[in-house]
Amino acid sequence: MGVLTRAIRNISRRKMRALLVIIALGFTMAIMISVPAGIVANQEATQNLSANYDRTVSQMEQQLTLIECTNSSSSTSSSSGGPFPGGGSFPGFGGFGGQTNYMNESIVDAISSISGVEAMAPIIEVPEGITTRTFASPYGGRTFTFNASSYTIVGVPLNSSLIDNYSILPTNITAGRNLQQGDTEVVVLSLNNTEYFGVGVGDKVNILGTNFEVVGVHGESDSSGYVMGRASDIGNLYMNITNAQTVTGHKGEISTLDVYAENNSATLVSTIASEISSMFPDLSVTTEQSQLQTIENLYNSTLATNESAISQTQTVAFQEIIISVLATCLIVLFVMLYTVRERTKEIGTLKAIGFSNWNVMNQFMLEGILLSLAAGIVGIGIGSMAAPTLSGLLLPHMSSFIGSTFGSSGRSFGAGGGRFVSHGAFGVGAATAVLSPELMLLALGGAIALGALGSLYPAWRASRTRPAEAMRYE
Amino acid sequence: MGKRKISALAGLNLQVNKGEFIAIMGPSGSGKTTLLNVLGCLDKPTSGKAILDNVDVTKLPEKKLCEIRRNKIGFIFQTFNLLPYLNAVENVELPMESTKKSNSERKKRARELLEMVGLSGREEHRPQRLSAGEQQRVAIARALANDPAIVLADEPTGNLDTKNKFEIVRLLGKLNIDQGTTIIMVTHDGQIATHAERILLLNDGKITKERQGILLTKKKLMCPYCGDKIQPSDERCPSCKKRL
Repeated sequence: MGVLTRAIRNISRRKMRALLVIIALGFTMAIMISVPAGIVANQEATQNLSANYDRTVSQMEQQLTLIECTNSSSSTSSSSGGPFPGGGSFPGFGGFGGQTNYMNESIVDAISSISGVEAMAPIIEVPEGITTRTFASPYGGRTFTFNASSYTIVGVPLNSSLIDNYSILPTNITAGRNLQQGDTEVVVLSLNNTEYFGVGVGDKVNILGTNFEVVGVHGESDSSGYVMGRASDIGNLYMNITNAQTVTGHKGEISTLDVYAENNSATLVSTIASEISSMFPDLSVTTEQSQLQTIENLYNSTLATNESAISQTQTVAFQEIIISVLATCLIVLFVMLYTVRERTKEIGTLKAIGFSNWNVMNQFMLEGILLSLAAGIVGIGIGSMAAPTLSGLLLPHMSSFIGSTFGSSGRSFGAGGGRFVSHGAFGVGAATAVLSPELMLLALGGAIALGALGSLYPAWRASRTRPAEAMRYE
Repeated sequence: MGKRKISALAGLNLQVNKGEFIAIMGPSGSGKTTLLNVLGCLDKPTSGKAILDNVDVTKLPEKKLCEIRRNKIGFIFQTFNLLPYLNAVENVELPMESTKKSNSERKKRARELLEMVGLSGREEHRPQRLSAGEQQRVAIARALANDPAIVLADEPTGNLDTKNKFEIVRLLGKLNIDQGTTIIMVTHDGQIATHAERILLLNDGKITKERQGILLTKKKLMCPYCGDKIQPSDERCPSCKKRL
């Protein structure tokens, strides 16, 4: 029978009291560890932002000759629930909020006559399988409702010179092969598409009443569907543009015309863009170069906002942690003071049979530490489940989305693995507050330290009890 | 107590020889428990000395007093004061915790003591499952855990029925005879006090009377009732059949 066994038995004598104390302490501990987890998540998110920006810029710099033409006269009235003006699309879902207008592919011939144009890739993107979806922000559990497509049919020209020289096809083929010149009635699916259709490489898939053979699978699945700052092909399936126009009922139509200049001279690109605009005033003409500038401005603004928010968050977090520490110590102090008073006679008996002041103090400090340690374990359990919610409630929010300069066509993006990110949707990456092993160990260490601190005075009081007086206590 | 000074003990002089069994009697408030607390190093007198084995314990620091309580003194209380969350063996082991004995040695000694007080088979029972008499026996065993030279018993039979009272006091007498343990017992019960060797009457903090108890006669191997010879192991007098 040692002091540890006695301490455990004493705590378990009053099971309900011990349970209530442990739960109360557990919540304060959960707050103590969720707040730092939230800070770390915010910092990680900002790092993600920078990493995403670097990656996107790197991709965009490979496409500085690109001029993108879409039909700017799309309706915005059908935007339903999406958080972005003009509808726009939600990265990763290939969602849509507005109505896509298509162009007659005859504009290809007209634009080809412009001096300095080296190549053109007419593309059609048609979202299908429209459903209403709910997205939960990793911060504070806010939800957004929007219309999203289950998949997007992307028809690209399978011309070997385009395929070899420009990024019009998806990158990162994970099974099978990519599309190639001459392919017809075949399709390359995304990983999400394979789950949606329940097919794999070599299988036949029925798309809008026509059977296609799956020759390849591209990309990585993102279950949250929320991907910031990088090209997202999650819902896109690729096929020959002629097949795409036929199955979607858009024969002779395209949604985007990518025009490539002979070189990446800013003047030439700008000139071509101007000429296209003057030939077709209804077209929305954007250059990769101007997008790059827009994104850089947006990134700098977002970064500054986030850094300020992080700084503010840290101040608030520090105050909240101090309050939690104090609350923990006070709870332990009062509980142990009550316990010492309740067991005054027992203390007198222990001293009468030869227990020293140190033995008595040891006993009560150990009980306080054990209570606190149990609370620490409960706190880790609560924190593991509720850290995102707790940190969302307790910390100032970082802005998740900064601005939206989606093209008014509301087109979904991601046609081609090398294509750039949706315009302007730069925000914090989705870093969820989680408890790392280091944080858990820190929580346990903190629990022991706070238990010792809180029970120090009561244990000292117990050790100083005069046995003769204690024996008379009722 | 409060603003008025009350003398619990006043000019008391007491000498206890090794191996004696003393009963201290007196009305409520006469200073019996205070005397026991001073003798047991639980309290210090306002003036005077308490000398144990030629050492004045009133001048010792708390650490030394704690060692004396652990090694030289055993306590038996009226309300038993067993720890309710420990079983009989664990309660008896408690005073041995700060000694150099190993776990197994402590357990063995505890079981031997419980057997000696007649509680074989009840070692794993917690106090709630023991009768009052059995609890007091556990308390006696606990008091003997570190082989003390002195056992101080504060109204050890106060919470017991008649049958158990006499069994307990006889047990203390047996311990005194068999092991030579010095016993100082405080009681207000005259019949119980009779079983000691010397009976001291305490009144207003002073010893006012002294008489002999039947244990003295038993130590002389004579029946205290009929005067016939008896053996140390006799539970009843072979002549008058009275319980010794």
